[in-house]
Amino acid sequence: MPVNPADLVRSGPMPPAEALAATLLAGETLLQDSPQHLLEVVGVLESYGEVLDAYSINLIYQAEEQFLNPFPFFKYFDGDLNPARLWRHLNHDRINFEYAEYCMKAMLWHGTGGLDAYLDSPAFAAGCAAIIAAKRRRDPLLAMLHPLAPSFLPEQIRTAATVHALGQFWRVMSDLFLDLARAERRGEVSSIPAVVAFIKQGLVAAVANPIHYAVKVADERFWVLPPEAGLTFLVDVALPYVEAVFLRGTPFFGTVSFNAQAEQISPDQGSFAYGALYADPLPTMGAGIPPSLLMQDMYRHLPEPLHRWYRQGGRGEGDVHVKICRSFQKAMFCVTNATIAGTMPHPLDSRDPQQQAANRAHALAWAERLSRGRTDCLEA
Amino acid sequence: MTSAAMTSLPLLSLLIAVPLLGALLMLVWPGSPTPNRLRGGAIATLALQLLVSVLVLLLFDPDQAGLQLQERQAWLPGIGLNYWLGVDGLSLPLVLINGALTLVSVVCTRELSRRPRLYFCLLLVISAAVNGAFLADNLLLFFLFYELELIPLWLLISIWGGSNRAYAATKFLIFTAVSGMLILGAFLGLALFTGTVDFSLTPVTSERLAMGSQLLLLGALLVGFGIKMPLVPFHTWLPDAHTQASTPVSVLLAGVLLKLGTYGLLRFGLGLFPEAWAQLAPALAIWAAVSVLFGSLAAIAQRDMKRMVAYSSVGHMGTILLAGAAASPVALLGAEFQMVSHGLISALLFLLVGIVYRKTGTRDLDVLHGLLNPQRGLPLTGSLMVLAVMASAGLPGMAGFISEFLVFQGSIQAFPLATLLSIVGSGLTAVYFLLLVNRAFFGRLAITPHNDPPRDGRLDVQLPSVAPRETLPALALAVAVVALGLLPAPLGRISEATTTAMAQLPLLLAAGNSAGGLG
Repeated sequence: MPVNPADLVRSGPMPPAEALAATLLAGETLLQDSPQHLLEVVGVLESYGEVLDAYSINLIYQAEEQFLNPFPFFKYFDGDLNPARLWRHLNHDRINFEYAEYCMKAMLWHGTGGLDAYLDSPAFAAGCAAIIAAKRRRDPLLAMLHPLAPSFLPEQIRTAATVHALGQFWRVMSDLFLDLARAERRGEVSSIPAVVAFIKQGLVAAVANPIHYAVKVADERFWVLPPEAGLTFLVDVALPYVEAVFLRGTPFFGTVSFNAQAEQISPDQGSFAYGALYADPLPTMGAGIPPSLLMQDMYRHLPEPLHRWYRQGGRGEGDVHVKICRSFQKAMFCVTNATIAGTMPHPLDSRDPQQQAANRAHALAWAERLSRGRTDCLEA
Repeated sequence: MTSAAMTSLPLLSLLIAVPLLGALLMLVWPGSPTPNRLRGGAIATLALQLLVSVLVLLLFDPDQAGLQLQERQAWLPGIGLNYWLGVDGLSLPLVLINGALTLVSVVCTRELSRRPRLYFCLLLVISAAVNGAFLADNLLLFFLFYELELIPLWLLISIWGGSNRAYAATKFLIFTAVSGMLILGAFLGLALFTGTVDFSLTPVTSERLAMGSQLLLLGALLVGFGIKMPLVPFHTWLPDAHTQASTPVSVLLAGVLLKLGTYGLLRFGLGLFPEAWAQLAPALAIWAAVSVLFGSLAAIAQRDMKRMVAYSSVGHMGTILLAGAAASPVALLGAEFQMVSHGLISALLFLLVGIVYRKTGTRDLDVLHGLLNPQRGLPLTGSLMVLAVMASAGLPGMAGFISEFLVFQGSIQAFPLATLLSIVGSGLTAVYFLLLVNRAFFGRLAITPHNDPPRDGRLDVQLPSVAPRETLPALALAVAVVALGLLPAPLGRISEATTTAMAQLPLLLAAGNSAGGLG
């Protein structure tokens, strides 16, 4: 029996699944309400919103402008390549787009939801064939490559589709988180339940947003994710994202070998627990590695009140990444909380026993998985 | 200052007088000086002492084997006690390291709430006494200085030590007092058996003294200095003393005071009784191997970091006895290197253990985990600890490698079995120190026994950060450890003539005896 990576990092008392399910069914928030939690969650989501904005712009740029580029050396430059920016990039004075790629690969690899189903459909294969044929007419390298490795280019198009879909998803989430910060400053959001309600409202508003993606080859336009595929924001992208990035994740590249040798990688993808909600805030080179590049990106965009609060506690700037990670996990529990509430099959105040049972099953399924995460951050 | 002017100065006396005057200054400092001010005074004193040491180094002629810069004043000639000082390649590096490590001890003293005047005064008295012992060219004078450091150290442990300090200090006092009595007994016995009151450092031949008497006197010296080094089975005071002593005192104890034993063993055991030494050498080599193996195996069994480092000293001191037993030029040079490198490395280890203890409140290897954590652990301390254990395990490029390589190379021909056993024991150093590093520094940061939940139910351990000034002494020692490993030639140049002459002493005496005595 492989070791669950979460077992390696959690040893403190965590809330049991039943308690979490009861909280969800009572309509309460997983994260306890406190002024400190409000400061942390809103502040870290604001910085996350800034980062997601950059991630979103870049992912959409990559999918549209670097499509099937065999040598995408400058894919992180959003088309704005100049010596000063190149120097900043090489000097690591930049957004770490590698984390966005990590999330995209996690989504592509775990492949849940309608997006993945469409990427394996005959309609998508037909679209790919048309795009590849058009590309081969103009690109001799791809023309030679495709017969040698016929599944290579379709896989690249699947990747590009996921990149674009994630870019669209983060566009919505970035705006939502920045709106939340503005609402909090206006005094419209002043508690953790209000934060969860705000996010839930934003998700529900975007539930049916269509997800589609087209590319231009020469002057010809091709649909990769056509409108007729019927892909929508919540079910086909948001939930697969939560599943892949918040819950499952993948071991980071440097630790794959380490974890495999220690028999810590489950053969069942569904039982992976490398996601953000399971990450150990303390970097230890073990299984529960925090998304340190994201922490670094958020650190550069911390709002001053939260930064000031971080500086006052612990080691000040010395352990700021750990503090950001803990705040981030609190924020992600709020987002997950809003997602669970938004996808609850029936109203929580329903008196119908069948509807209550369905709600309970929904809440328990989530609670079972969350209870193995870093829920020790939920208390005030 | 010209060389002639410098030679006219009583530099060796200054090496004793400067710290003694500094100690006096601590006691008579007007008003109520703060501990920081007193520490500043002690640092200034030790800096001056180090400056004098450097002047001695500049005037020292490394091509000469005998004592140099000698200062001779009759004191109580009737009983053979004369104020004769001199320095050679055996004692000069130890004088330098004494000044440096006392300075480190003073610098790393933190949060001194009780009797700061007395504390710094005692540290300076110890430094003066150790210098006196290393420089003494008279057996009784050596003994006086050897005993002079005893009471200050006892006070340092019993006043500023841990919760079980009274036991540890008393044990230290009893063992070291017995050591002193045996050494004094050997010196007085020498006078008694030879019928003179000449306590100068003249080798004793079998023409002057029967071999049985020589063996008796040498045996007393071996046990006396064996307690101080310490060697198995006279080592039991050391782990207790280290465990209860504060970090600066442990630094001094391991780095400098144990070297009084090794220095005494080579200077007086080998130097006074070379013929008897040659007869006992095979037994000494076995004793050394047992000490090395026992020290290493006992270290593996420890759970307290400080006790582990203390037992490692027992093992490393054993290699010096092995070098002394072989008494070849290379081995004795290795012994000198081992004294210096062990002084630096063990001081570094104790400094780092001290930082860990100050920040975590424990030294228990079953409780400490993941201290290398870059955000909330002790990353620099941990990195230096990894460097220190590599040096202690004798990895190339570090001071420990040079010394152990020379010792084993110099002794393998004379005592192959004992050397091989010692090499195995030395190899075990890597085992116990890797256990230490693996348990305390690798993995997830936690201050909790294995498999037990944290007391507050949370995993976000909050350790205070280590200020740069706290790590500075350790950094300096680490640089010295690497520098000595990469550039051993200067130390070799200082000591080689002396150690070569010491190695040739038994041969010269044997040749002299066969030719009708030394004349």
